Amino acid sequence: MRLNIPDRYLDLLPWLMATLLVAGIVHIVSVLLMPTIAPRDALARLAAYAKSAAPAEGLVLLPPMAPGAETLPFEDPAFAEAVCVYDLAKGPLRVKTSVDGEDYLGLSFHANAGRIYHSMTDRSAIKGKIDIVVGDERQIDALTSADEGDAPPPQEVRLTAPTKRGFVLIRSLAKRPSDQERARNRLSAITCQRFDLPQG
Amino acid sequence: MDLKPYANYLRAASAMIAGLLIGLFATVLSLNAGYGFNSLRAGPWTAWPHIGGADIDPYARAVISRSGEAPLGRDQGLAFIARTDSDGAPLNAECEYRIVDPLPAARFWTIALASPDGRLVANPTERYGYSSVDVLRTETGAFEIGVAREARPGNWLSPGNARGFVVMLRLYDTPLDIDSTPDPHSFPHIVKLGCA
Repeated sequence: MRLNIPDRYLDLLPWLMATLLVAGIVHIVSVLLMPTIAPRDALARLAAYAKSAAPAEGLVLLPPMAPGAETLPFEDPAFAEAVCVYDLAKGPLRVKTSVDGEDYLGLSFHANAGRIYHSMTDRSAIKGKIDIVVGDERQIDALTSADEGDAPPPQEVRLTAPTKRGFVLIRSLAKRPSDQERARNRLSAITCQRFDLPQG
Repeated sequence: MDLKPYANYLRAASAMIAGLLIGLFATVLSLNAGYGFNSLRAGPWTAWPHIGGADIDPYARAVISRSGEAPLGRDQGLAFIARTDSDGAPLNAECEYRIVDPLPAARFWTIALASPDGRLVANPTERYGYSSVDVLRTETGAFEIGVAREARPGNWLSPGNARGFVVMLRLYDTPLDIDSTPDPHSFPHIVKLGCA
């Protein structure tokens, strides 16, 4: 059987396949590159806000949500929020607070380029306390080796962050609109501080 | 001018340019289609549980880094978005809707309006949503939320002068199994009552 296709169309076939191949490569590369080149991702927005607010380091409360004044899109208006933008090159980070077990508090740990590497709520607090250390692999290793000996085991949860830069977003639920003040006070009680690794 | 000796170069160049355009077009299309794979659907509601974990797929990462959002963590809860009513018609600010029981189990839930790109919708009441605690309920514990431009008695959310809006349903500390298809009958219905 012979297909009745003129030769000049058959000549174009390899070029058509080349076009599709190029299209496929461009598509995959552009999707994979997007997190690195997107100029206004969550980290960039939060870092810009933290920089404009004093102090630039540690925990920064985000302004109350209002139309046209959202720091991030798709956030729940029932929440008060705070952020801790970090750069582990300067040292590991400790996030600490106590919870009352009644009010919802959510902590999410975001790496650069849109990946959440850990998230939790006040439900997973240990004995009413949240005590989390964030470090890169080297810093967590240093902490682990400093533990060895007969000291009691550490109470803190240690997280290895996949990238040096990132942020911790803390969401505190205001069950009623009139609870916003209380929700913000709960956020102010949280500490998020850089600390120095033990020597030795 | 005789282009014949250069015909292959011309073809290669047009293959490159066409490939580039088609590839970028496919990227724009796929990024506008949602947050990648593995969505969870129940009636008009859709959630993408995997965007809140370390196993987020490249499409979802591209979408959230472009929009600038910080999704809810997997262990914190689930955020569902509805762009249509329960009959599948797109939500329209000209129309009046009712959001009615039931709701899946969760420690807290909130139902809020948002613009299609995730901003709050400006409205005269300055109320953007209800939570499981402050929603008004009937004696049996049931509730309904009216969505309309004009004031409604009871729970009322106004889309203001926005043209389009979406409804966000967020379940906090929910035991909902994200690996199986949820039962649409355990999710709120969005019923259209009529249009202006």
